[in-house]
Amino acid sequence: MFAYYFKLGLRSLRRNPALTALMVLTLAVGVATSMSTLTVLRAMSGDPVPSKSDRLFVVQVDNSPADTAAGEEPANHLSWLDAKELLAAGDGLRRSAMYAVGGVAEPEGGEASQLINGMAVNADFFAMFEAPFLHGGAWSAEDDARGGAQVVLSSAFAERLFGKDDPTGRRLRLFDGEYVVSGVLAPWRPMPKYYWLVGGNNRFGDTDEVFIPIRNALANESGPNGNVSCNGDGPEPGFSGLLNSECTFMQYWVELADAGERGAYRERLAGYVDGQKKLGRLPVGERSRLLDVREWMQVQDVLGDDTILQTLLAAGFLLVCVVNTVGLLLAKFTAHAGEIGVRRALGATQGQVFQQYLVQAGVVGAAGGLLGLGFTFGGLWLLARQSEEVAAVAHMSPAMLLATVATAIVAAVLAGLLPTWRACRVVPAIQLKTQ
Amino acid sequence: MEIRPILSALLRSKTGAFLIAAQVALTLAILGNAIYIVQDRLAIAARPTGTDEANLFYIRFYGFRDGIDVPAMLDADLAMMRAMPGVKSVATANMAPLTQSGWNLSVQPNSNDDSVESTNTAFYYSSENLVETLGLELTEGRYFTPDEVQVIEPSVANVDPRHTVITRTLARHLFPDASTYVGKVIYLGDARMEVVGVVERMQSPWAQLGEAAERSIIVPMRQLDPSAAYIVRTEPGQLDRLMREVEDKLTAARDDRVHLSTTSLPEARANRYRADRSLAWMLVTIMGLLLMVTASGIVGMASLWVNQRRKQIGVRRAIGARQRDILRYFLVENFLVTSFGIAVGLALAVALNQWLVSALEVPRLPLHYLPGGVVALWALGLLAALGPAWRAARIPPAEATRSV
Repeated sequence: MFAYYFKLGLRSLRRNPALTALMVLTLAVGVATSMSTLTVLRAMSGDPVPSKSDRLFVVQVDNSPADTAAGEEPANHLSWLDAKELLAAGDGLRRSAMYAVGGVAEPEGGEASQLINGMAVNADFFAMFEAPFLHGGAWSAEDDARGGAQVVLSSAFAERLFGKDDPTGRRLRLFDGEYVVSGVLAPWRPMPKYYWLVGGNNRFGDTDEVFIPIRNALANESGPNGNVSCNGDGPEPGFSGLLNSECTFMQYWVELADAGERGAYRERLAGYVDGQKKLGRLPVGERSRLLDVREWMQVQDVLGDDTILQTLLAAGFLLVCVVNTVGLLLAKFTAHAGEIGVRRALGATQGQVFQQYLVQAGVVGAAGGLLGLGFTFGGLWLLARQSEEVAAVAHMSPAMLLATVATAIVAAVLAGLLPTWRACRVVPAIQLKTQ
Repeated sequence: MEIRPILSALLRSKTGAFLIAAQVALTLAILGNAIYIVQDRLAIAARPTGTDEANLFYIRFYGFRDGIDVPAMLDADLAMMRAMPGVKSVATANMAPLTQSGWNLSVQPNSNDDSVESTNTAFYYSSENLVETLGLELTEGRYFTPDEVQVIEPSVANVDPRHTVITRTLARHLFPDASTYVGKVIYLGDARMEVVGVVERMQSPWAQLGEAAERSIIVPMRQLDPSAAYIVRTEPGQLDRLMREVEDKLTAARDDRVHLSTTSLPEARANRYRADRSLAWMLVTIMGLLLMVTASGIVGMASLWVNQRRKQIGVRRAIGARQRDILRYFLVENFLVTSFGIAVGLALAVALNQWLVSALEVPRLPLHYLPGGVVALWALGLLAALGPAWRAARIPPAEATRSV
């Protein structure tokens, strides 16, 4: 019976063509604005590492001064003083301190020097953040501890320098020093770049070109390529002054074997803070905390208010479109009153008429959904112009394709409930008499 | 006017009227909020920097070898650029307005005691005349003399400025009771700076919301780090040509540094406000579609009502109603329905705004933004109803004699 009603529905699309076209168009633009904004919203709030986002933590050791207002968030970064101690304590399954570095790579063979971005990290970094290797691997634990001149390259950067060959073991002039390539990553682009959300507005951009051991970067006095905040009187001059000061410019991540160990780790962190307090540091250190990936993304406002705002207003627009469709369906079905009267007189029950017209509404919705798919791509193209962040995530997934059509059908069926109910209450006798 | 019969007819077919009113109400609620957000964003994006923006660009290089003779490099670059035709003025600068990265340091008025509230400022420094190069308006005092410029080697000494030029906004914030500011004292940590001049306006690189965007200070300083960054002011119309030529010439001059960026201030402005402007356009698009959808809904429903009442219209015409009575009937009917929707919509708009304010960073809607939306919807309703009402008026009296 459904197939028959479906065929009737398709045929009825051609009746009242102007009214039908208006309904299809209304639903299509309504669904398209909602789904394109929703695609961006979902992509920006997505989980970049579902397998371990609840056991991967950023550790904030708060070294803000004593007069910090109560409501303020703990410091975004931590100091090397604290990162060093946390690394030495060695708690958790894996751990890495990190900070952004930048500088010049000088390729061999007359190619121009190029400015690149990098991260100074610990060897655990790659396994912690599931960075896949194409060639080679991370540097050894010994190199990690003594700050060996080893480097891991991103796939794009390795290809630019060495072509498709495996460059493991080759030398590279970098940051005014000599490095040995220990590995090359496979293409890797977490969305967002959650391990370093604090670097400004490049959260959905390309990953860094090189990764070097953090102790190597510190020994070579590679300055932080990012925000540095200093409390109090500021550091002594020079790089060692920065490292021995309360200036914060690092992140510290820890991976626990199990999400349940969070409480135990938090206690060890509190113990560390107490120890430092006895030494006269960390006046408000009790505000230190650990946040998992999702919590950290929330604190860092990865999902901007503008994205939420435009999604809400687009949803409001869809609501208006649905109300509009109710009115238009009402007009269309009222015009069919005579036909309904005949069908009822020939023995169709109210329930059958209800089904038939609800299917008809659904067919209108499906047509609107298919047209809306095209509009959604247009909407995403427009949204991508907002910023590079949005451009990086404004892509349609198969799930969103299905959801777009489904939303249009559901919207049309909901809009069709009232008109259909009115249609099946047509009294056959009156209709037959007036004809 | 025959409002009473229109009302009683409306009350007998409530559904359609209710749908139109609901649509108008929702439209007004969204429209009122969106118009204000659009206006707010465009106003933010149009804020002046206080500079001769159209003729300025910022160019940066990064020296990567040890042992670069920084003062010689800077002086050679400056001399080279000044000799180029069309260059009006050049200055070294650690940052430039609208470029979204730079130095942010906090200062205290009068004393460096911990009890004095500190204020974050955009911290510009230059060894040349930044006021002249940027085209700022100096409203009080003077700019620095060349012998006030300090040369700092960052690996052995900290920033320790003694003179400063500040913006009027910052001056008023630090010294709310004063009327002139030259001679006032500001502390940067332990460094004691004397205010020698005040500029009317100078935006920070971040152009934050509110007053924070105009809390900037300039100090006369040259830092001996190997980066080289210059703000260049050109004669009108020469910007594009000089951006290319300066970049080529400075890049060719040395091989111990890499070119980082060349950005004109108009480009920097477009980048800074790209998200605001495109959100505004997104909302304008939604508003346009919204009005179209609502208008089509009104046309559809009005047509339905006219079609349902052809016979009654014929009867009215037959017993003496003129065409314009019929026209007026439908327009008044539409006006009543729209007005009901608008009344509900006004309340809805305020409620929606309150919810947005509490949930997101959205400014509170000033109520005087709503009458515009009200008038727009009234006009839209009447225009949309005009077509169907006009067709109704043209129904001949003979219709009364035909069966439906």
